[in-house]
Amino acid sequence: MAAVSRPVQEVPLPPTELPLAPGVPDLTAQEPSIGATPPSPVVLDVRDLKTYFFTYDGVVKALDGVSFKVRRGETLGLVGETGCGKSVTAFSVTRLIPDPPGRIIAGKVLFRGIDLLWGLDAEARIKVDKKTGRAKVRRSFRRIKAGLERMSAVRGRGISMIFQEPTQAMNPVFSVSNQLSEALLLHHGTALVDDLLSAAPADPAVRPALEALVETARGGTSDAVRTSSRKVGEAVHVGSFGTQAFYLSRDSELSSEDLLRRLEKSLHRLHLNRLEKAYLRHRRKRMVVEDELHEVYLAEMREGRIDRRQRRNLRARRTRLKLGGFYYGIWGLRGRVQRPLRDESFWRSVQLLEEVSIANPVQVARGYPHELSGGMLQRVMITMALSVDPTILIADEPTTALDVTIQAQILELMRGLKTRIGTAILLITHDLAVIAEVADRVCVMYAGQIVETARARDLYQHPLHPYTQGLLASIPNLERPDKRLTSIPGSVPDLIHPPEGCRFHPRCPYAMPVCKEVRPPTTVEGSEHTVACHLFKGTVSVE
Amino acid sequence: MLSEPSPILISSYNLRKYFPIRGGLFSTRIGDVRAVDGVTLEVRESETLGLVGESGCGKTTVGRLLLRLIEPTSGHTYYHPSPDILARLGSLYSTLKASTATDGDGGTPDAQAALKELDEIADQYSLYRLKHSKMKELRGKLQIVFQDPFSSLSPRMLVRDIIGEPLAIHHTGTRAQRYQRVAELVQEVGLNPEHLWRFPHEFSGGQRQRIGIARALALRPEFIVLDEPTSALDVSVQAQILNILKKLQVEQRLAYMFISHHLSVVRAMSHQVAVMYLGEIVERAATEDLFSRPLHPYTQALLSAIPVPDPTLKRERIVLKGDVPSPAAPPPGCRFHTRCPAVMPVCSHAEPPLIEVRKGHWVACHLYPPTADGPSSSPLSSPTLGAGAVDAGAPRAA
Repeated sequence: MAAVSRPVQEVPLPPTELPLAPGVPDLTAQEPSIGATPPSPVVLDVRDLKTYFFTYDGVVKALDGVSFKVRRGETLGLVGETGCGKSVTAFSVTRLIPDPPGRIIAGKVLFRGIDLLWGLDAEARIKVDKKTGRAKVRRSFRRIKAGLERMSAVRGRGISMIFQEPTQAMNPVFSVSNQLSEALLLHHGTALVDDLLSAAPADPAVRPALEALVETARGGTSDAVRTSSRKVGEAVHVGSFGTQAFYLSRDSELSSEDLLRRLEKSLHRLHLNRLEKAYLRHRRKRMVVEDELHEVYLAEMREGRIDRRQRRNLRARRTRLKLGGFYYGIWGLRGRVQRPLRDESFWRSVQLLEEVSIANPVQVARGYPHELSGGMLQRVMITMALSVDPTILIADEPTTALDVTIQAQILELMRGLKTRIGTAILLITHDLAVIAEVADRVCVMYAGQIVETARARDLYQHPLHPYTQGLLASIPNLERPDKRLTSIPGSVPDLIHPPEGCRFHPRCPYAMPVCKEVRPPTTVEGSEHTVACHLFKGTVSVE
Repeated sequence: MLSEPSPILISSYNLRKYFPIRGGLFSTRIGDVRAVDGVTLEVRESETLGLVGESGCGKTTVGRLLLRLIEPTSGHTYYHPSPDILARLGSLYSTLKASTATDGDGGTPDAQAALKELDEIADQYSLYRLKHSKMKELRGKLQIVFQDPFSSLSPRMLVRDIIGEPLAIHHTGTRAQRYQRVAELVQEVGLNPEHLWRFPHEFSGGQRQRIGIARALALRPEFIVLDEPTSALDVSVQAQILNILKKLQVEQRLAYMFISHHLSVVRAMSHQVAVMYLGEIVERAATEDLFSRPLHPYTQALLSAIPVPDPTLKRERIVLKGDVPSPAAPPPGCRFHTRCPAVMPVCSHAEPPLIEVRKGHWVACHLYPPTADGPSSSPLSSPTLGAGAVDAGAPRAA
C-alpha cells in the first residue's frame, strides 16, 4: 500500500514465492488454486507506482503512489470513477503508456520477481521547471527500443490483456483466425510445429477411424460424432484434425462415400513433402532462438543487469537463421511451404473458439471483425488473451460496451475460465456490481490513489473509506428501489492541481482540518483490509 | 397506487418504423430494418414510463417517434387525448383486431368502417398529421434529453445561448426576460449562474447533462423523453442526475419516458415499465409488479442478468445463449424464440399477442394463453383501452 515514507521500501518477498531458476521462467506452469492454502504466491506486485502525463497545461499526476498485489489464481478488482487512473494502472503495468506524453516516473512493478520497470530511468531524463510546472524530457531511443524488446518477453505469455472496445482492439483487415493464429504461433509455435512434424496421416489405424466416423455421422448423435472424430484426431496424432473432421462430417449433406472422400482429402494437409518439412524445421529453429532470447531478457530484468555475451550470441544466431532461410520468403514458394502451418493454426483457433462456447466457430474464424457482434468479438478477444495461458490476465472494462445479457454471458465465461485455468485476473471496471460478481479482492481508486483494499465481502458489508461508502450508496439497488439515492457532491478533481492532503477531502462529508494538509497513511483495519483515511488509526501498513 | 390514475398524456397505437436498406445497382430498396414494429403504449401525466431493452431493440426510435423527430411508417400518437376519443379508439382497434383474427386481412365491412373512422380521427388529432405551425407550438411541450452529453451540446455556443435557444426560437418574452429565465433554469438543475458564460467543453459529463436538462426544461414542457441520460456518467454523478430528475418531476408535474438498458436505474425512476425486444413490447406492467413477478422469459433473463453489488448474494442465473437477431430479418413467430429457455413448438410460427394476464400486467408470450373468461385478449393493448377502459374513461368524461 501507499508507502508512508518514500522512497520505496525494500520489502522481503513472501516466503511462498518460489525463486525461479535463472533462464527457466516456466511462465506457463499453472495450478488451479481452488481451495488452496491461504496465501498463494504473489504474481504481480505493484509498489508506489507513479505515472505522470506531461501536457501543455501542466503535469497530470494520473497515478500517484499506487500499490497492490495480485496472487496466483485470484481475481483482483480495480474500481473507481472515470479519470481515477484505473486504465492508466493497467497500461503502466504492461508498459503501454504512450510516451510522449505519459511516463512512469517512479515505483516498481514486480511480475514473479521480475522488475518490469528495470531500465526505465535510463530511457529518459525528465527536468521539471519548478515555476511553470512544465517538463523537459530527453529520451534515449536506443534504450527505449531495447526496453520494448524486453517487454515482449512478458507480454502475452506473462501478462495478457483484454481491452474495453473489442471493435477497436482487433485489426479490421485480417480475419479472426489470422489474428488468433498470430498469438498461437508467437507463443506456442514450437509445440504446434512439433505436432505437425509428428503427424501420422498414413498410419494404418487412420482408415478404420475415418470409416467409423462416417458411420456415426450418418445417424449418430452429435456427441457420438464428436467422440469418434476425436478418435480420428488421435489416430493421426494431431488433435486439431479431429476438430476439422467433426465440422466436415457435421456440415455436409453428402453421401457416406463422398464424406469419406472429403475426409481423406482433408488429410492431405498433414502429408508433408520434403520442402514443407524442411521449412517447418527451419521455422522451429527460429522459434527456439526467439524463446531463448526471451528467457535471456527475463533473466536480465530479474537480475537487473544485461547479459551481453548471451544476448549477442543469440541475436547473431537469429540473423544467421533469417538469412539462411531467405528462399522461403520468395513469392510463390512462401505460400506453399507455409500452407500446413496456416491450416493447422486455423483449426487450432477453431478449437479455441469452441472453448468459449461460440456456436459456429468455423464461420467466426473465417470472418472479419466487422462481421461479428460486440459480445462475439469480446469472446474472440478473451480467447486470444487466454490462448497463450497467461499468468495474469488484465481485463480493462471487458463488459462496459456490452448489453446486460451479453455481459452476463461474458462474466460467466470468465468465471469458468478462472476456475479451469487458474489465471490471476486484474479486473478493471467502474461497475461495482460487476466486481461483486467476480472479484475475490477489491481495490478502490480515487484520483490516482488506492483508498481502500479489502476482500470483496468485507468491502461491500463494511466499507470504511467515505468515498467507498458514497460509491456504494449511490448505486440504484434492485432490491430496495424506494431508497433515495445518495450522491457524492462535486466531481472528480483536476489531476494537474490535485487537492492538498487527502485528495477526497473537498467532497468528503467527514472532512477534518488535518485532511486538508496531510496525506493519510494507509492503515490496516482487520485482516486484508487497508484504508487510507485519517478517520482510521490502525497500524500503518508498510507496503 | 390505489388513487385514481392520472389522466393519459400520450397514447400511441401500432407504431411502426421501418428503415429501408438500400443496395444493388441503383440503390433500390432491398429490405427493411424493422426498428419498431407495432408498439402501443401510453404515458400518464406526471408519471414515468420506463422503456427497457438491449441495444438495437428500438428503444430510442420509439422515443423519437413519440416526439415526431422522425415520421413513422404507420401508426398514430395522440397527445392529450380526450377520454371519449380514447374510448372510441379503444373500441375501434378491438373491432379491427377481432376481424383480423377471424378472417385474415381486415376484409369485413366492420373492419373497413373501423379503418375509415380511425383515419378520420387521425386526421383530426394524430401528432403525425398536424400542420407544421401546430407542431412547432407543440414542440415546446415535448422535449428530449439526449444520451451523450458530449455531442448533444454545440461546442461553439455559450451555455447561456444553448439553454436560451429554445426560448429564442419560440419568441418567448424579451431578451432580458429570456436571460432571466435561463438564470433560473440553471439554478434549478444545480449549476451556478457564473457557469452561463462558459463553453460546454469546460464542463464535466455530469454538468453537461445538467445543461441538457435545463435546455429541455426551458419551455416548461409536459413530457420529456430521457434517452439514456445517465449511461455516459459515473455512478456517483448518475445519482445526482437521477435525484434532480425526480425532484423536477414532482415540482413541475412532468411526465417522463425513461429509456435505459440499466434495469436498476429504471426501477428507481419509473411508475410503469415496458420491456422491448426487437422492436416489440414483450411485457408491460407497473414497476413493482414487473420486478417482483416478471412473466416473460426475456424479462426474467434480463432481471437475472443484472449484476448485484453484493458478493454474498448468489442467485439462480438465466444466461441467454447467443445474440439478438438482426431486426432486418426478425425470426418468424415469437421473436424471442431463438434464445428463449422455455421455447415451445408453437413459438416458432405463431406470434403471441400482447394480453393482460393480471390487472395491469401485459405480456406477449405463449406461456400465458388467453383464457375464455379471464382477462380479455384484446386490443392492440393498453390496460385502459380494453373492456374496462371504457368504464374508466366514462366517469371522467361525465
